[in-house]
Amino acid sequence: MVGETLQKLLMTAWLLPLLGFVVEIFFGFWSKNPRHSKAAAWTAVGCIGAGFLCSLTALVMWGTASNAFDDGDAEGWMSQQADINHARHPHHEADSSEGAPPHEHEGADHDAEHHGSSEAGADHILTAVATEDDGGPKLERGQTVYSGTIYTLGVFGSLELTLDYYIDSLTLVMFTMVTLIATCIHLFAIGYMSDELTDEYVDHFAHKADGSHVHRPGRFYRFFAFLSLFCFAMLGLVLAGNIFQVFIFWELVGICSFLLIGFYTERKTASDAANKAFIMNRIGDFGFLIGLMVLWTYFGTFRFGDTMVDNEVVDQGLFSMVHRAEDGNFDRDELTGDVLITGTDGHVLTNEDGSNRQIPYYLLVVVGLGIFAGCVGKSAQFPLQTWLPDAMEGPTPVSALVHSATMVAAGVYLAGRFFPMFVQEVLLTIAYTGCITLFLAATIAMVATDIKKVLAYSTISQLGYMMLGIGVFGWAAGLFHLITHAFFKSLMFLCSGSVIHGCHHEQEMPKMGGLLKKMPITAITMLIGVIAISGLAIPGVIAFSGYHSKDAIVASALAFKNANSAHFLLFFIPLLTAGITAFYMFRLWFYTFWGAPRDQHVHDHAHESPWIMTAPLLILSVFAAFCAVGGDHGYLYLLLTGDEPAHLEAGVTAVGDGITLPAIQDIVDEHTTAGTWALVAAVSGTLIAYILYGTNFVNVEEMKRQLAGVHGFLTNKWHFDELYDALFMRPAHKVAAFCAWFDGAVFDRILHGAAKATVVVSKWDRVFDENVVDGFVNLIASATQSVGTSLKVVQTGRLRQYVMFIVLGVVALFAVMFTTFPG
Amino acid sequence: MNPDVLLSAIIFLPALGALLLAFLDSRAVVQIRAIALGFTVATFVLTLMLWGQFKYAEAGMQMLVVKEWIPTWNVYYRLGVDGISLPLVILTSFVTMLAAVASWSINKQHKGYFILFLLLETGMLGVFLSLDFFLFFVFWEVMLLPMYFLIGVWGGPRREYAAIKFFLYTLIGGVLMLIAMLMFYFNSGGTTDSFNLIELAKAASGTSTTLTTTLSPNLQITAFVLLFIGFAIKLPAFPFHTWLPDAHVEAPTPISMILAGVLLKLGGYGIIRVAFPLCPYGAYYAAYALVGIGVFSIIYGAFAALAQTDFKRLVAYSSVSHMGYVLIGLGVWKIGEATGKTINPDMWLMGINGAMFQMIAHGVSSAGMFFMVGVIYDRVHHRDLNKFGGLMGRMPLYSGLAAGLFFAGLGLPGLCGFIGEIFVVLSAWNYSPTLAIIAASGVILTAGYILWAMQRVYMGTEYKGPHSEDITPINGRELTVAGVLLAFAIILGVFPGILFDMMQSSTGALVDSMQLGYEKAAATLNELQAMR
Repeated sequence: MVGETLQKLLMTAWLLPLLGFVVEIFFGFWSKNPRHSKAAAWTAVGCIGAGFLCSLTALVMWGTASNAFDDGDAEGWMSQQADINHARHPHHEADSSEGAPPHEHEGADHDAEHHGSSEAGADHILTAVATEDDGGPKLERGQTVYSGTIYTLGVFGSLELTLDYYIDSLTLVMFTMVTLIATCIHLFAIGYMSDELTDEYVDHFAHKADGSHVHRPGRFYRFFAFLSLFCFAMLGLVLAGNIFQVFIFWELVGICSFLLIGFYTERKTASDAANKAFIMNRIGDFGFLIGLMVLWTYFGTFRFGDTMVDNEVVDQGLFSMVHRAEDGNFDRDELTGDVLITGTDGHVLTNEDGSNRQIPYYLLVVVGLGIFAGCVGKSAQFPLQTWLPDAMEGPTPVSALVHSATMVAAGVYLAGRFFPMFVQEVLLTIAYTGCITLFLAATIAMVATDIKKVLAYSTISQLGYMMLGIGVFGWAAGLFHLITHAFFKSLMFLCSGSVIHGCHHEQEMPKMGGLLKKMPITAITMLIGVIAISGLAIPGVIAFSGYHSKDAIVASALAFKNANSAHFLLFFIPLLTAGITAFYMFRLWFYTFWGAPRDQHVHDHAHESPWIMTAPLLILSVFAAFCAVGGDHGYLYLLLTGDEPAHLEAGVTAVGDGITLPAIQDIVDEHTTAGTWALVAAVSGTLIAYILYGTNFVNVEEMKRQLAGVHGFLTNKWHFDELYDALFMRPAHKVAAFCAWFDGAVFDRILHGAAKATVVVSKWDRVFDENVVDGFVNLIASATQSVGTSLKVVQTGRLRQYVMFIVLGVVALFAVMFTTFPG
Repeated sequence: MNPDVLLSAIIFLPALGALLLAFLDSRAVVQIRAIALGFTVATFVLTLMLWGQFKYAEAGMQMLVVKEWIPTWNVYYRLGVDGISLPLVILTSFVTMLAAVASWSINKQHKGYFILFLLLETGMLGVFLSLDFFLFFVFWEVMLLPMYFLIGVWGGPRREYAAIKFFLYTLIGGVLMLIAMLMFYFNSGGTTDSFNLIELAKAASGTSTTLTTTLSPNLQITAFVLLFIGFAIKLPAFPFHTWLPDAHVEAPTPISMILAGVLLKLGGYGIIRVAFPLCPYGAYYAAYALVGIGVFSIIYGAFAALAQTDFKRLVAYSSVSHMGYVLIGLGVWKIGEATGKTINPDMWLMGINGAMFQMIAHGVSSAGMFFMVGVIYDRVHHRDLNKFGGLMGRMPLYSGLAAGLFFAGLGLPGLCGFIGEIFVVLSAWNYSPTLAIIAASGVILTAGYILWAMQRVYMGTEYKGPHSEDITPINGRELTVAGVLLAFAIILGVFPGILFDMMQSSTGALVDSMQLGYEKAAATLNELQAMR
């Protein structure tokens, strides 16, 4: 019953924004005053706000039903797990007193060993589906997944394409996070977009041929319609119970992103950026499609989890079709090395002819890489990272919602969701992709001067961290960072929006400075975000969300490095980048809010934003600071990891000279070391930023001149745009031109040639007809005529002469007969 | 309604309308339009009645009509409908009806135009409903003449060239079909069922009670190639596609809608109704070529579309690209060398269903795209992609609808284009991973040419071409056509089950009988081998 209620709640949260979209996009028809009314915006806020309430209710209900929370004296599994996580730490760190871990029960009889062994037991099924709670045994952690089918798209024999739901702890946390942040951003946007509430909006960034600005009606309601559509698509993506459905909503968030980036359609830069975003995403989706094709061909289903009806599995999902042995590796055929496809009970399924169903190992790698290619596109990872900075052409609330907190994180979400199917080679690719990306983007962020661009590169870099986390087997760390990042990055984007709004659409930081006094709320909330992302903390006293999640990633990377020493870069580069992150974030803050104003005009007109914009900032800053309180034994972490994949616990043993994936205990052991190093890096970065931009000790311009080569390379974004232009865009247009030419020059030429030949033949035919055929006919005619004329002579009319001819003729006939037919 | 009457009424009602128009004064434009529209609406209603009487569970032909026509040559007037033809019949009457509304923009010789228009509809419906090979062929040719005149008289500047090109291409296809038809007639003994498409199909799979002999496996290959070329011209598939851009560019908007919306589907329908069931062995033999041509058409069409500067030509090439999916879906039939059994027949079934869906979906989206091009062409009288821009501000409603229809063409989930493409692509890996990957790469190119075209036309600061003063917001008539098409694109995209439910019995039966046919042919070949 709980499953059905959860499904209904989440589907309400999911579909309400769609309803909102339909209402808002036709707002011009129902409203008397569509250009001046905020009703559309409040509709959108109402929909997403109600969605948030539904999600929160669902989260609480799920927790209660799955026995997560304490019930009177009885401990829920969250408390138990908190104890376990706590006990894993080698010595009780000071930070255990910081924050408020749910419970401290030293004497709990669940210790790590016990729990671990039950988790990684050979018969443990990964996606154990919750049995109904009434009367049944109490649910434990890892047993709280609800999945089923919403709607069938098509059935072909045994193949079935459906829309499903898959509700586990990750789904619920994502739902709550997305709806909460979206609500805040919707509210903020009411203020930010208010200059669209006019019949004549002047777009100062769109110039006509004669140099004048574009004047157009305001598009306030259209903006909120698109936002609602986006929320619908994003929530659908999270609720999706199969990978095909993820793909559907993947494309839909993509098109919403396209519409929102290109919101100012008059600006060439905006429509270019929108196209670039969509097409680069489609490149990733091409890989995604390949993954889907392989999955479909070999598994015949896209479902994640098993669908249960009355405790019977009616539809088996992917996660239970590959079975992991105790060492964490997939069961494989001993002879061929192919991965065996198993039923829910772990027994190998067979084909019609009795042979084992199996999938070649390399194809499982293809699946993983393919799905990950989709994630690369969506999360703007190397080498498809170039679209995200350009996407900043969209209005700032869009950047906050779509291009930092939710959609771009969908790639990480999918990598996390699909984690049980990833093999070591895929994870290593994910780790290196994340590692390259986080470094590359951070270096560019150091030199960017547009406030939104800095944040955009920072987003790419942080997404790289998440990918790295997932890749080095820090599943929980990566997704933990996804949630914390969503809060502090959306906060910072909204702050930058507030600055841009306050400075009348000035985005260049060199024209700002000293805004702290002018806009104190924005400045302080921004500072909270900056501290959070930089991972600054006073261990044991206070730490903001980013400290916990980034530490977790760096610790996973260190454990991974310890297990696989060849991949040491996977630890050192993120560590170094932690310093760079602190540097560029504080650079941004000092540049904008600190020191003396650099452009008096901008400064004079700057003002703090109205409450409808600052209130969301305050709400988000509270979450950015404290959402991760308690680290790995705080509420957020425990909720998030409630249904974590089972093979994380014990890690995965290397096959041959393959990769060893660290167990949770290995990661926890490195926590203090990694945390200390990361903190050192962050503090150094902060100090350098302060010295360069917070004080006047160093002449930054002079430094720039001396490092002109590096600086130029970085400001040109490592020349990726030029490279892709030369490698792909121009060749594509060449091939296109060739195809178009080929049609005209070859096919049509053949055709025209054939036509001409036909005409020539016909002409010759005419000549032949007129001269030869007609000539022959005429010849016969004239011959007949002349014969007739000559015979005229014999036609005398004298009877005796005729008899004479007859007799002669008969005699001649007989003569011929006797000579030709003798006898 | 009695099926005998209903099927014939569907086919001949438009012709009746044409006859009626012939008696009208050619200056009575309003009446001519109203009557023509009335007849197309009535035909559409009749096809909906047909849908109402259609039994989903039945796999075979329904509502059969058999009447003697030319008994000396064993030609019969045979009609019937099944899950494969029904969606196409409804699509035809639907698109024709909308095209009739779009025909308001025709501004000369209205009477002649609408007479030919209605005759064209009779021809198209006749092809979809006839079950006699000869009758099929007759309707196929009947369709040709009105189309020739509609392009050649009411078309653009190069209309004569385009019309003749269209005519000759299709005629060649018709001739090849004629040869194949005679092959079947004489090889099956020239009996009363020798033109009967159902019995010929049964004969191929060895289940016919009336026809004992049919083509040998090797002749099947010849017949299939002949038929396939005939139908591939219509589809159109690379390399038989060059008539299409010219015909589209020159044809008036409503005719382009019909051309893309219905006529191209005749090619796909011909393959699935005639070429496949009649020559199952030939179909399997040529399957790789089919899929290969399909894949190549997708990529080639998309690249060619990317290079176009004429808006309508771009949409025309997008048709070449999109119809490639139809060939792939039909062709992904894989047989195990050792067992002689189909590997994963459900995948092929999915491919066929996807191909059928793609035909319907393309009928809706491409008709919509051509109409949207027509709307702007009617205002500014040019189609140069580099001389548009800023229409989003000038005609917001029009631009919004156009964006929706172009997204449907782009294969966006939730719209009709997605389902057909993705189902076909998913079914393709089982057949050939390489071809499947190439086909899947089409998604990038498709996004490229459609978004780039939209950017050049709808976005930007201002309109850059001539006749700027004539740009007026979309009117009620245009809004109706575009709105209805977009609504259908959404309905089909969200509820694809509407079509799949209609088709699944028939497509399932097709897959089964094709497999039987292949096994029969393979057995024959083995016997021959043994005799040698």
